[in-house]
Amino acid sequence: MSSKIMTQKNVPLTTSDTGKIRKKRRDILLLLLPTLVIFIFFFLIPLLFLFINSFKTFDPILGIGESWTLEHYKKFLSDTFYLNVLWRTIKIGLITTFISILISYPVAYYISHSSGRKRNYLTLLILSPLLISMVIRCYGWVILLSKNGLINDTLLRLGIVDKPLTILYTEFSVILGMIHVLFPYMVLSIVGSLERIDSSIINASRNLGANPFKTFFAITLPLSLPGIFAGSVMVFSLTASSFVTPAILGGPQVKVMSYLTYEQVAVILNWPLGAAIGFILVLISTITIVVYSKLLTASKKGVAIQ
Amino acid sequence: MSKKWPKALLNLYVWLVFIFLMAPVIVILLSSLTKTEYIVFPPKGITFRWYSELLNHPEFIQSFWLSVSVALGTAILSTLIGTLASIAVVRYEFKGKEAVIQLTGSPLLIPSVVLGVALLQFYSWIGLSTSPLALVIGHIIITIPFVMRLVVASLVGFNRSIEYAAMNLGATPIKAFFHITLPVIRSGVLAGGIFAFITSFDDLTVALFIVSTDVVTLPVRIFTYMQYQYDPIITSVSSVMIVLTVVLMLVIEKVLGVGKLFAVNKK
Repeated sequence: MSSKIMTQKNVPLTTSDTGKIRKKRRDILLLLLPTLVIFIFFFLIPLLFLFINSFKTFDPILGIGESWTLEHYKKFLSDTFYLNVLWRTIKIGLITTFISILISYPVAYYISHSSGRKRNYLTLLILSPLLISMVIRCYGWVILLSKNGLINDTLLRLGIVDKPLTILYTEFSVILGMIHVLFPYMVLSIVGSLERIDSSIINASRNLGANPFKTFFAITLPLSLPGIFAGSVMVFSLTASSFVTPAILGGPQVKVMSYLTYEQVAVILNWPLGAAIGFILVLISTITIVVYSKLLTASKKGVAIQ
Repeated sequence: MSKKWPKALLNLYVWLVFIFLMAPVIVILLSSLTKTEYIVFPPKGITFRWYSELLNHPEFIQSFWLSVSVALGTAILSTLIGTLASIAVVRYEFKGKEAVIQLTGSPLLIPSVVLGVALLQFYSWIGLSTSPLALVIGHIIITIPFVMRLVVASLVGFNRSIEYAAMNLGATPIKAFFHITLPVIRSGVLAGGIFAFITSFDDLTVALFIVSTDVVTLPVRIFTYMQYQYDPIITSVSSVMIVLTVVLMLVIEKVLGVGKLFAVNKK
């Protein structure tokens, strides 16, 4: 038994070792089987099935009709209502990403310049809300932003407005909620890139007479761009595909792609159109990731030239 | 003196961001104590009435237990099969390995809404009715990418010679796994399990499509309740969830060390 294992490890296998190869194959198969079965049957096949359904006609009784059609994609791409939803989704994603960078950078800078123990606690603190249900966190904002919530109350009392503002169920409340839910990811991503900066470069810059501001803009900021970049891709694609926050803080008033998918499938029961919208949503996040990895390889070449 | 100013400003700023981060949680906790019939913040008066009121809502308690059992089932099954798959990916070279890695990571790229819709249409096509198992399967899909990342990270740094030594001394591969490998990768596996539990317990999006009238998880219950009601029951049930999450984290901190948990996660 023991010698067999040692051979397997140290000596390259020859063709006469078919028994061992077969055993190895069996081991791999057994290890992967449960995961593969679940992924094939409850992930790949359902997604394929959904994709196929997006090309079926809508049947008011059965949901999915019998014949094939491209009408759902055509409808989506020609109707300004749907195109507006698509644009809103992208717009909310871009604004959320941009503001998240602004909010997160100083925090990340602060965390990465703290010493060991403090840094751990700060990281933990920034991550801890992520463990609390998103539904609950969003509902906290509903309470704060509602017509008679704290924000409107304060504004009225200070005399800034004379009747309560509609803050809830607007693009603003959705963006606020998205930033709140997602900026910790941006912080972590930027902290990661700030920690990789060799402190001797920064010391060199200071020794050569650059003031802290110049050092920051000439050295620290450019070197932390990869972190900002990675965080942006993460925040953008998570914003574009998120459902909970826009559903609770935007609702039917601020329809985004994910909510539209939900509405078509669960409320209007137009399953084929819902499937088509869902796939356009998948396309958005896939394109984001692909563009990102393209840019990443390009920038790596740039770094190599330097 | 002039150098102190930016530092003080940065300090203040970071505090403000942390207040922003904690705001909704604090709002929920405090407004659950209000004496009014509706939700208000800051709360008017202090009472625990909305917590006792919770007992008159058996549907919340029922949903809570369903969520706990689905999350436990997900955590156990997902770490079990995820660990097995991670071993195959880390220790063996085989054709299609890259495809397996891509496939098991891909649920991160698919919006949960789309997965929920796909499972809904697929389940109804094969005639599988709503059950806790149907939920667990959906949650295994969304948690496997995290579990495998964490377990793979802890397996990569593992020195196999200890395992070979055990087997040379006569241990069977299975015995060697449980006595040598598992204790070493324990923190990765446990972290995976905890992440799977929390992800499953919090999931609204996938569950929303799979639930039926009598199988409703807690996030879905809260979500549907808040669409029609504005009474402090929501805040009291949410507060219970928040407190439980905090307690769970403290227990884990005692057992494992949260720092460790996130340190593994960072890889």
